[in-house]
Amino acid sequence: MIWLIKVAMRAMMPRTAALPGIEDTDLDGFLRRMKRDADFLYWLGLVAGGVVFAISPILTVFVPLPAFLLPRGLLAKHAERVVSHPIYVVRQAAFLVRLSAGMCWGADPKVRARFALAPYAGDPGTFRSS
Amino acid sequence: MSHVAFQPRGPRVEIEADFVVVGSGAGGATAAVTLARTGARVAVVESGAWRDPADYPASVYGAMRDMLDAWGSNFTRGRAYWPIVQGNLVGGSTVINSAIAVRTPRDVFERWQREVGVGGDLAPAVWEAQDDIERELCVEEVPPASRGRSNLLAKKGADTLGYEGHFMRRYIRDCRGDGQCLQGCREDRKQSLNRNYMPEVLARGGDVLSCAPASKISFNKQRAVGVVGRFRHPQTKERGAEFQVRARKGVLVAASVTRSPLLLAASGLKNPMLGKGFRAHPGTPVFGVYDDPVDMNTGATQGWASIAHREDPGFKLETLSLPLDMLAGRLSGAGTALMERIGEFRHIAMWVHACRAETVGEVRSTLTGQPAVHYTLDRADMLRFRAAVYLLARTHVAAGARAILPAIHGMPYRLMPDEIDQLKEAPLDPRAYVAILSHLFGGCVMGRDPAMSVCDGRGRVHGRDGLVIVDASAIPSNLGVNPQHTIMALARIWANDLAAA
Repeated sequence: MIWLIKVAMRAMMPRTAALPGIEDTDLDGFLRRMKRDADFLYWLGLVAGGVVFAISPILTVFVPLPAFLLPRGLLAKHAERVVSHPIYVVRQAAFLVRLSAGMCWGADPKVRARFALAPYAGDPGTFRSS
Repeated sequence: MSHVAFQPRGPRVEIEADFVVVGSGAGGATAAVTLARTGARVAVVESGAWRDPADYPASVYGAMRDMLDAWGSNFTRGRAYWPIVQGNLVGGSTVINSAIAVRTPRDVFERWQREVGVGGDLAPAVWEAQDDIERELCVEEVPPASRGRSNLLAKKGADTLGYEGHFMRRYIRDCRGDGQCLQGCREDRKQSLNRNYMPEVLARGGDVLSCAPASKISFNKQRAVGVVGRFRHPQTKERGAEFQVRARKGVLVAASVTRSPLLLAASGLKNPMLGKGFRAHPGTPVFGVYDDPVDMNTGATQGWASIAHREDPGFKLETLSLPLDMLAGRLSGAGTALMERIGEFRHIAMWVHACRAETVGEVRSTLTGQPAVHYTLDRADMLRFRAAVYLLARTHVAAGARAILPAIHGMPYRLMPDEIDQLKEAPLDPRAYVAILSHLFGGCVMGRDPAMSVCDGRGRVHGRDGLVIVDASAIPSNLGVNPQHTIMALARIWANDLAAA
């Protein structure tokens, strides 16, 4: 299912002339960590978001193809429309994908440098054990 | 004294104390230290881990993983799915909030007395306790060097419009303005309760069990005599050893608004009011885009607030800086349009409102025993909600914003200053907004009538002995101001009552 989520995240945060896209970050590593770490309900929602993104082009660009088979231009249009879709659960599912994508993208040192932000010091994940 | 963290499966961990406190957030930690100062032996059981500043994550991802209850995936069940943000670690939400200290307004006590028949006499004791807490936790106004441009702009906007606004008073000593309150203050300036009250409990001979979610309160007839549960590893979720804490004198519950009612229900309490009376301060942001860089992550995460509209129509306004790795989730759009919008990050200031909503919801248990909050804002609250959005937009314009980003479904992404009156007709459907619920209340509300409440005006659970609620779940109304100061004061008073009993 991870590849479905990746398709959606890449469409939502593409590389532009001014900024790196999510494909320029360690997206694979991020999703592996998230699958391992995340609360089950959160991960379930993210997977559902990837699935909804994949199967909803018929609702957004009116093409009976899954998102991963859309040509680049239609995929971009689909991404824009699905996050503002009139059906609430559709756009909420897409929202979770976009939120998670932003966590990956905005923590990347290359991206942060573009905004004059220092790189993050890291997430040690440690706690008092005694 | 001892701190016992996760214990793998093996012999049951058994502890005996005078009092056991479930939860170590604003209410639990304050109650625990108050009892410990009387010389009592106190044990605290906390479902989350104990993390110190060196353990704090830097990123939003890390904060969700290490600090939030269920990754922040608890959300309202109703017309809209709004996240409910709660900390899950030693110190509770005091580790991840902006440490805002606001004294309990007088009208709150009057309302409690009028509506539930108790609490009207609490004002002097609460304010006296707040005096003490302010001294202990170094409450001070945001220092000038740490105000940051977003906070200064908000002050300028409010001043221009002629309504009250002020730099906040917070439990922070010598704030450096790193804008990292929400991930825990790695500079150790914020006086979150894992840094003071909880270590003091240990120093006074108490015990703290972390990674230790309580599953039940034990009773001997009607008397609460302890707590049982099983350790859970904070990362692997592995279930560890069982624990049992016996309490010679009493059990205090501060597991949170969403968890305290479920714990009482799981322990056999049949009170039909359990979970009822849930209230909150829902809020949503409005962004302003400015010509010059704002760099909202420079300066205090939250440094300015206004309570001018707390009573009419009923909301509070605040600044709140948003990390870059959270921004993509809050701006509208996707694809190249979203990337262009994020490109304005340095020029964006985000201000939020906290709506003093009168809507009442309910906390129920899911099939897996997790809390499910049923809550949908009614029309009157949505009118308040919309009025707050409009005033935030006006304040941005008054501060010099060149554009407003309202982030409302069905509205334009960007409004020019002469277009913001469109917000007066913004949708009243909660599904049009990306909001969150903070400042939760109720679920084990206090009151005189045992048929209409869970505990009395001293937090004592009706029909039980030695069982006291010391968190926001006892609070029967919303406050219209940040609740941490009120929760701590009530916990201190009620813990002292229990110690004196």
